[in-house]
Amino acid sequence: MKTLGHMINSRFGSHLFDLLSSCRKNFHILSKQPKISVNIGQMDTVEEYQHGGPKQAYFNPYAFNGGTVLAVAGEDFSVVASDTRLSEGFSIFTRDNPKTYNLTSNTVLGCTGFHGDALTLTKVLEARLKMYEHEHHKPMSTKAIAAMLSTILYYKRFFPYYVNNILGGLDEEGKGCVYSFDPVGSYERESFRAGGTASSMLQPLLDNQIGFKNQIGVDQTPLTKEKAIFLVKDVFTSAAERDIYTGDQLIINVITKDGTRTEYFPLRRD
Amino acid sequence: MNKGNDLIGCQQNIFNTTNNKETQLEYAIEAIKLGSTAIGIQTSEGVVLAVEKRVTSSLIEPSSIEKIVEIDTHIGCAMSGLIADSRTMIDKARVEAQNHWFTYNERMTVESVTQSVSNLALAFGDDDAGPAMSRPFGVALLFAGIDDKGPQLFHMDPSGTFIQFDAKAIGSGSEGAQQALQEVYHKAMSLKEAKKNALTILKQVMEEKLNATNVEMGVCVPGTMFTMCTKEEIEDVIKDIQ
Amino acid sequence: MMETGFWHGGPKPGAFYSLPGNSSTYNDMPRKHTQQPITTGTSVLGVKFDGGIILAADMLGSYGSLARFRNISRLMKVNDQTVLGAGGDYADYQHIKDIIEQRMIDEECLDDGFTYTPKALHSWMTRVMYNRRSQFNPLWNVVVVGGIQDNEPFLGFVDKIGTAFKSDVICTGYGAYIAQPLLREAYEKNNAMSEQEAKALVDRCLKVLFYRDARSFNKYEIAIVTKDGARIEGPMSSDTNWDIATMVKGYE
Repeated sequence: MKTLGHMINSRFGSHLFDLLSSCRKNFHILSKQPKISVNIGQMDTVEEYQHGGPKQAYFNPYAFNGGTVLAVAGEDFSVVASDTRLSEGFSIFTRDNPKTYNLTSNTVLGCTGFHGDALTLTKVLEARLKMYEHEHHKPMSTKAIAAMLSTILYYKRFFPYYVNNILGGLDEEGKGCVYSFDPVGSYERESFRAGGTASSMLQPLLDNQIGFKNQIGVDQTPLTKEKAIFLVKDVFTSAAERDIYTGDQLIINVITKDGTRTEYFPLRRD
Repeated sequence: MNKGNDLIGCQQNIFNTTNNKETQLEYAIEAIKLGSTAIGIQTSEGVVLAVEKRVTSSLIEPSSIEKIVEIDTHIGCAMSGLIADSRTMIDKARVEAQNHWFTYNERMTVESVTQSVSNLALAFGDDDAGPAMSRPFGVALLFAGIDDKGPQLFHMDPSGTFIQFDAKAIGSGSEGAQQALQEVYHKAMSLKEAKKNALTILKQVMEEKLNATNVEMGVCVPGTMFTMCTKEEIEDVIKDIQ
Repeated sequence: MMETGFWHGGPKPGAFYSLPGNSSTYNDMPRKHTQQPITTGTSVLGVKFDGGIILAADMLGSYGSLARFRNISRLMKVNDQTVLGAGGDYADYQHIKDIIEQRMIDEECLDDGFTYTPKALHSWMTRVMYNRRSQFNPLWNVVVVGGIQDNEPFLGFVDKIGTAFKSDVICTGYGAYIAQPLLREAYEKNNAMSEQEAKALVDRCLKVLFYRDARSFNKYEIAIVTKDGARIEGPMSSDTNWDIATMVKGYE
């Protein structure tokens, strides 16, 4: 599957590929292949064509709907952004489908991959968030959501949610925080992370511009909110030039102690 | 159960069942009043739990009587009544606390732990749902812990009712002890004062003479969270009492 | 499989002789959840207009490349504010239709004034499709739900694996490649077209599809929802012109 390349997170990539192909073997009856056997006695090869059943076009429970998400943490803010294009293959389903989900007043999730799973996962999350609030009389912290998301993902380890999650918000001290996940729940806290189809274009640029990697004698001033938003717009504009799954519009959620502010920015539509 | 064709019998049965449940609960709550006294005091510095041990024979090894237990690093629990019954509830509290940590990577609040245990309380009776428990639990519990809201003390009775207290006494000496707590309690009480008050009041209501082996004390403070007091620590407090 | 025949290669008692191409005696196969569509419908088109929505689908049920059924409806009226159209396996569509119709009857019986809204039906469809795909037993359809909710037109899409979205313009199947650009262009030029303009637009799109999609048919229905209610119109046909067809190389 061509699209696997886009989805696979380097941390767990080959695992997931094996896993999915083995899944398919278990669930689908493939048409019988011609068997080749060697007749040792006569030392010649005989092709033994077996009669097979009807050809089975196997059912693929996953699709790949593209999209890019990005989260950046600052000292007292976080930015979570995504493009709004939803596509499959060479078709654009819609130009207006943000892949960011406002979970609480200070947590936003970016979720790309298979849109059916993204819809289901975010629905499950929303329900769990409400349950938590009823049971514990407080909103969930970003850290708690991250931990819960990890368990939710891992519970489907052998039929995974085919999604890349990046969570942005504020931690208990009011500092910006970003958590990134692989599809089966392994996660870590970081200060910036790109996910989805153009992640391999965004990440190195952010490593350079925010992480100051491969720069000599650079003034490492702390990232301001304005600089972060400016960078986000820039990297997405560049990504939309090269990645056919990224484009149409950019949605930027800026999370501060005062809540979440949303702004939009146009991207190429071709 | 009634077959259902006898309407009057059926109604009687339902009536009796409800009646039984209430009566059973009342008995259970009364039973607590026969239990050993336990006291909890919440201060701004932390929470203290103190219980009396009834060492009814000189052949008993006092340290084997355990009426204050740890639920999680940040929560302790004191009990009074049928101690054997508390095992199920303590187990539940511990599992819930760990499960919460596993899922959310954060400490469960004292209130939530208490709530989760209270859900067990009314699972008795002869209704078909769930595994049968013939009677209510015969213990009252004091949960002392620290969470985002600071040091907290919760009391739970066999009916599952749980209420937050500044200071609470349960068990046979509870009436007198609660009265005494009412008199000594003030919002600015230090942890040291609380320890002293707890043991002083226990001493007043205990039949035996109070010493470091026939009481147990646990404290929950920010930093070290829940810890049991050592014999030496208890002796230090006793020294200050007269 | 244990050999139980009376002679080598022979059938079991009471079974038929196994000839090449006849695999009726196969019983060691695992249970098949996965399927393939059998009788299929092609594209469904949908677009919003000023104060309503329009859906369109032709009336052909294809059996592979065979135009097997030429008068089947792929649009349904759910209630006065909701319509639904489907492509893909026709039997699965009929199954969905049966369930929805039963739900509407049950709802009517309650007589509490509640009806399923387009958004609610779309959301429900999403869950049904996703749950079936998760059991590896999909309903092999692409479903378009349309209607009016809170005086706003609504158009939603769901496919057999639970991918779902809402949009001003929706085209499924070949329509996504052939009709979608036409509809989008028209909608972007005028997002408040009249019902008549929308009808004409959809007719043009279906005509182009008929010219280009080999599994399409020049007999179609449309579903329209406005504040005055929902209705299915048709069957109807487009005026086609094949005059230049003979000039296409290789047509003959």
